[in-house]
Amino acid sequence: MQVATVKLLHSVLVMRILFFGQLKTITGSPAAELPFASGNAAELWQQLIALHPDLAKMRPQVRIAQNGEFAGSAARFTDTDEIALIPPVSGG
Amino acid sequence: MDVEIQITGRPIIAQVTTPTPLCDVAGAVVEFSGVVRGDENGAAIAALEYEAYRPMAENMMRRIIEELNVVHPCLMVQIIHRIGIVRVGEAAIWVRASAKHRAEAFDMVSSFMNRLKQDVPIWKVRALSSIEFDALR
Repeated sequence: MQVATVKLLHSVLVMRILFFGQLKTITGSPAAELPFASGNAAELWQQLIALHPDLAKMRPQVRIAQNGEFAGSAARFTDTDEIALIPPVSGG
Repeated sequence: MDVEIQITGRPIIAQVTTPTPLCDVAGAVVEFSGVVRGDENGAAIAALEYEAYRPMAENMMRRIIEELNVVHPCLMVQIIHRIGIVRVGEAAIWVRASAKHRAEAFDMVSSFMNRLKQDVPIWKVRALSSIEFDALR
């Protein structure tokens, strides 16, 4: 019974991803929710591209921000993080 | 060093009304305005629209200033970045660095603008033609 409860909780964990700049145009939305409990950048990208295939061409130029900071290559992301995809910036 | 940062949807010129409060210690006050040009990629435009990932942009600007202050020590740095629609001729960004001597103030402003264009999550999201701009009014 306990195992079933844990599985149920796990199954509803979602991660909210924010999109900015041209990524908002590509995805047609300022944000997406993924069924993603935890994982690294490659795993996150895999799910993002499954949801929005056109993001694949932007991947080399896009940085991931985790809770308002650029994430390092070894970062792991969880559903409690605020995640944002940061395309090349153009302020000023 | 004091740092003031604003990201605003209102025209910058209306907000820059206070003189630097450091007039008795600062020997140099350098101001820079980044202004929207009337052309974008060779086409005439009437305005640019900016957006920001606001909390991260504010944090990044503050961190960049603090890092640069180690090598270009200033007394105060003030930054205002506009978001939303900015008309041609209006400032999208205004930076004022106050320092004891001019070299630090010039270098702070110049270096900050270089870093802004690499790392601060603010974007020009679209250029508006006169027709598009007039349709919004």
